[in-house]
Amino acid sequence: MYDALLNLVTAPWTLQPDTLLGAALLAVIAALAGEALWRVLRWPRVIGYVIVGTALALSGRGVEGTEPALRVVIDGALALLLFEAGARLRLKWLARNPWLLATSVAEALATGIAVFMVLRLLALPREVAAPLAIVAVCVSPAVLQRVVGELRAAGQVTERLLALAALNTLYAVLAMKLLSGGMLLSDPATWLNALSPVLFSFFGSILLGAALGEGLALIARRFDLREDNSIVLLLSAVLLALVVAKTLQLSTLLVPLLAGMWLANRSERPWVWPRHFGSAGSVLVLVMFVSVSSAWTLEALVASAGIALALVATRMLAKGVAVLALARPSGLGLGQAACLAIGLTPMSATAWVLTMDFVARHPNVGAQMMPVLLASLALLELAAPLALMGALRAAGEVDVRPARTANVRVRDAAG
Amino acid sequence: MPLGDFADSRAFTLGVELELQIVNRHDYDLAPGAADLLRVNAKRKKMTADVKPEITSSMIEVSTGICERHRDVSEQLLEVRDALVEDAGKLNLRLCGGGTHAFQDWSQRRIFDTPRFQQVSTLYGYLSKQFTVFGQHVHIGCPSPDGALWLLHAMSRFMPHVIALSASSPFVQGTDTGFHSARLNSVNAFPLSGRSPFHLTWDAFTVYFEKMRRTGVVESMKDFYWDIRPKPEYGTIEVRVMDTPLTVERAAAIAVYLQCIARWLAKDKPFQPQEDDYLAYTYNRFQACRFGLDGEVVDPVTAVHRPLRELIRETIEAVEMHAIELHAERGLAAIREALAQEPGTDADWLRQAQGKEQFLPEVVRQQCVKFEGSDGR
Repeated sequence: MYDALLNLVTAPWTLQPDTLLGAALLAVIAALAGEALWRVLRWPRVIGYVIVGTALALSGRGVEGTEPALRVVIDGALALLLFEAGARLRLKWLARNPWLLATSVAEALATGIAVFMVLRLLALPREVAAPLAIVAVCVSPAVLQRVVGELRAAGQVTERLLALAALNTLYAVLAMKLLSGGMLLSDPATWLNALSPVLFSFFGSILLGAALGEGLALIARRFDLREDNSIVLLLSAVLLALVVAKTLQLSTLLVPLLAGMWLANRSERPWVWPRHFGSAGSVLVLVMFVSVSSAWTLEALVASAGIALALVATRMLAKGVAVLALARPSGLGLGQAACLAIGLTPMSATAWVLTMDFVARHPNVGAQMMPVLLASLALLELAAPLALMGALRAAGEVDVRPARTANVRVRDAAG
Repeated sequence: MPLGDFADSRAFTLGVELELQIVNRHDYDLAPGAADLLRVNAKRKKMTADVKPEITSSMIEVSTGICERHRDVSEQLLEVRDALVEDAGKLNLRLCGGGTHAFQDWSQRRIFDTPRFQQVSTLYGYLSKQFTVFGQHVHIGCPSPDGALWLLHAMSRFMPHVIALSASSPFVQGTDTGFHSARLNSVNAFPLSGRSPFHLTWDAFTVYFEKMRRTGVVESMKDFYWDIRPKPEYGTIEVRVMDTPLTVERAAAIAVYLQCIARWLAKDKPFQPQEDDYLAYTYNRFQACRFGLDGEVVDPVTAVHRPLRELIRETIEAVEMHAIELHAERGLAAIREALAQEPGTDADWLRQAQGKEQFLPEVVRQQCVKFEGSDGR
């Protein structure tokens, strides 16, 4: 953090994404690109951010993930989006519609198993294939939140996309923790030393998530969330929890996701706040999308394109089959199920952070795992948001109006 | 489409239609779920009551079959309510009564995708979206067309009663309107709304209708948004002024209140309807909308102003014998109870909830719980 600030101050003129000049310029370009796409094509602005990120990657100036300032922003933005994703997930829905829960478990298991098997067939070692398969399970709540929000999508497909993404992200993060812990514990040399940090990280994340959720509920109850000041308070609370999570080496993905779920499920009372906690949150989200979509190189893409393509195709196929098979009993038309299946394509920041964190603990796996993941992300970077948009449109759940009235509603969503 | 013949129907049979709100469980805004709800509902065993789409995709209409008495209406409405509540639960949606949605933004509403609805939407523009209001309609069977028109006009002075009893739309687009039924203000914006013209015979009415049709302003009876209109296909008159109450129990009670009044008017003929009945009609209607049961309506003949609460009590006494004939005692008892209660109207109840919560999405949630008639799942 300190280094990051120092870097911003001492070298603001260097044209790199993590300098002040670089970051500011990129933000300007991304915002303009997003707006242009929105005005001309009615595409979600996030696609503009991704295009700028992609251009950055192609020019060889993409982020590496080691820049501390950027990591802070990415973790922060992702925390907001994951919190929102968690807060949309009402667990009682799964009780009322058990077939939906079945769909969720089936698509996650099918994806994990199918991707693992295909990667093994392609001769990837077990310890590389397993974490990649887990990462493939999660669908980016970030992209979903953003695209759904911008297109103001509403309906069964939208609702189920958000629920399935929140759930499979939860599964993936938990499974990754278990895998990571299991790998450390299975080594006779390290298992005793690893035991307590593994347990601490697991249960600590859950506890901190619940505590954050409770804190936010308190804020939401006592303050008027239509006031900017209350939103700043909410935002700061999330960031504070993130810092605590980082310091204690807890999962920065699990904590906000669980906090959102805690808030949404502790009582029936609805909560409404401006999307991404207002404009401050939106800045973080923009920077996150540009950064994450630039986090690959052309060489990595070329080198691992085959495996990545197999991973991406298997993932889509597995998710699609599971969703279609259980569509009818879960109360979905087949057309809607097809849209839902296609909508489950996005894979982005969550997958990236999940992998970065895993690789940091298991550097020996990183060299083989990272290129495949980055190549997969590169393949999906642009295609996935477009597929998602197409799916939502096809499902008839998008409601886009002329530009003049399009911006009116964000703040008054609270009514 | 010509007017057609007035169908046969048995006197004082009832049919009740309720337009219901479909909301999401996230922020309790209206949710476009009609098509999904219909699809899931279609898998069930056929119920007596029917479920249909309405003009916007966040609205669904339930209608009973032909009912003889309070128990039929109640049972059918409860059955279809329970079924729909369960279906909505599977879709992460929720249903509620109420004449308006408390904070929906009408510019956000989507028009249901059928030719007639699209045509209405093209003609009326923003009005058709502002018309995202939810009403209760009650059909009363009339054996003869002339009898139907006589009853239609005789009933006009009781419209403020049922407006006040059903009033459940105090909030519109996030603000407290001060009205008990703000919904009717939206209905008033339509060119062919309000009272129907004073014709007491079917022949005279047919002449009027054909004149209107020749102007091209209307094509069928559907184009009239009158408070009470004849429905020749069913052989009924249809009372349309009510908000959808917050509970189906209240809806059933209001339906039989109208049924008893109809029988009383037709059998005892306590007065003859006349054009002058309408002198104070819109004023009285306004009083009921604005002040609910505390509204004061004026008798156009005697010029006496009296509170609706009192008039409804008197009417219940006047129709007592007919209530016994129609097995409507339970329904009327529910109305009496509502008159004695504080809060009296559903609008009062909603205002109290908002006073306590200061958060309209939570008010809508409580509205859903009330509609479901359970502790809310």
